[in-house]
Amino acid sequence: MRIEVDEDLCCGAGSCVLAAPTVFDQNDDDGTVLLLDPAPGAELGAAVREAAARCPTAAIRVV
Amino acid sequence: MVHSRAAGNHAARPFPTARPIGCPFDPPAAFTQAREECPITPLRYPDGHIGHLVTGLGAARAVLADPRFSSLPAGKRSPVKVPGSELSTDALPAGMFVNMDPPEHTRYRRLLSKHFTIRRVRELRPRIQEMTDRLLDAMADQGGPADLVKAFAKPLPTLVTSELLGLPEADRAEFGRHVDVLFSLSTSGEEMRRSMATLGGMLHALIAAARKNPGTDILGRLTVETDLSDEELLGITIVLLIAGLETTTNMLALGTYALLRHPGQLAALRADWSLMDDAVEELLRYLSVVQIGPIRVAAEDFDFEGRSVRKGQVVTVSLPAANRDPLGFEDPDTFDIRRGTTRHVAFGNGPHQCMGHHLARLELAIGYESLLRRFPRLELAAAAEGIATREMMVTYGVRELPVRW
Ligand code: HEM
Ligand code: SF4
Repeated sequence: MRIEVDEDLCCGAGSCVLAAPTVFDQNDDDGTVLLLDPAPGAELGAAVREAAARCPTAAIRVV
Repeated sequence: MVHSRAAGNHAARPFPTARPIGCPFDPPAAFTQAREECPITPLRYPDGHIGHLVTGLGAARAVLADPRFSSLPAGKRSPVKVPGSELSTDALPAGMFVNMDPPEHTRYRRLLSKHFTIRRVRELRPRIQEMTDRLLDAMADQGGPADLVKAFAKPLPTLVTSELLGLPEADRAEFGRHVDVLFSLSTSGEEMRRSMATLGGMLHALIAAARKNPGTDILGRLTVETDLSDEELLGITIVLLIAGLETTTNMLALGTYALLRHPGQLAALRADWSLMDDAVEELLRYLSVVQIGPIRVAAEDFDFEGRSVRKGQVVTVSLPAANRDPLGFEDPDTFDIRRGTTRHVAFGNGPHQCMGHHLARLELAIGYESLLRRFPRLELAAAAEGIATREMMVTYGVRELPVRW
């Protein structure tokens, strides 16, 4: 599983961090998403898909 | 004979406001009818304008995330007449980013989001707990019965916001009084304007003080870290007040009411406090206190989910309706604190999704749990029929909640 985030779309809501805290974090400067782990293991699949679904601006893509 | 001009709009309905008798928590039944026709249906505004009403969860998310639906004030109208809507928006200060589209909106959001990240919000936990405990101490000292709105649900968010803005403790009571006037149901337009002017003065003074002697609160940090003008800071502060106070207050009071009216659910929560986060999510979904809007204006002509949308048409999303969509939630009208879903739209969606959602969740979790733990026998001190609700207001809730313990 590979993850792409579009920082331009991100509005810094941080919902991804709640859903998958080991994969996403928020930048301390502007609240936008920080990808901690661009290729998380399959065991995180559900959490990552939840993060992508909850992202209000569809800034997260799972490929 | 069908009038030809109205032919395409014959089904346009006014915005539903009548909630079912006997259940203060269910949205008006007319939303369900509308959703069964189509997740987007024609809507008639008070001035005769025909726009759209969004009642489906998928459509609500899609509208709020679609840049063709603009947040700019031009042409926007409310689907019902609400208090304060007659106030002119011309005099609003700069920096009110709720009424902006990207990229202007993005600029403000980027400057502010850092103060509302999960990390920052979690640092506030001990302070919020302290303020909560102090309010509950005062309630216990006074003895019941008490109006929970006045004693707890109103002051807690006001105190938290004062803290965020760095308002000196000594000014908080006066600040709270004017905020009350602004949000009161019985206030005349004239009174409202006066309180707005007084609050404006207080906020200007606060901004001047932050420039001179910046603290670690949001205003202090913004004066140091950004080149925002005083007027922009004023606009931002007003947005934080408007967006964060009434919403949280009504969630605290209406949420407590909902728990008291569902004793089985309340007992389950009391037996296992680890259900609290799920209970907060379910209360947010089930109650959806933002009951009028978000409102958007179509920026161009286009087809949207099978509907033709014309430039300038006003679109009103019903969050309570979307959060009861059977396509999104099993048994949507059942209140179930174990539901464990976070995919509701109580905080909106898209680039304007609530910036304070982590803070709101924390205030609610601390607020409900501390209240229920402090008063193990908390109960209503009035018959359910006697508890008046806030119809026709942007934010739904109870006007008063008499409780004893
Ligand atoms: C339970 C309480 C709350 C609820 C239900 C709620 C709900 C909402 C909703 C539905 C929106 C979207 C408006 C739109 O799309 O036009 C919104 C926006 C916003 N909320 Fe909240 N809110 C709550 C608490 C708070 C708190 C505590 C704060 C901060 C102190 C806050 C700050 C904001 C801001 C700044 C916006 C505007 C964001 C933007 O336009 O980019 N909210 N809120
Ligand atoms: S949920 Fe989406 S918008 Fe929010 S921080 Fe994560 S990527 Fe950004």
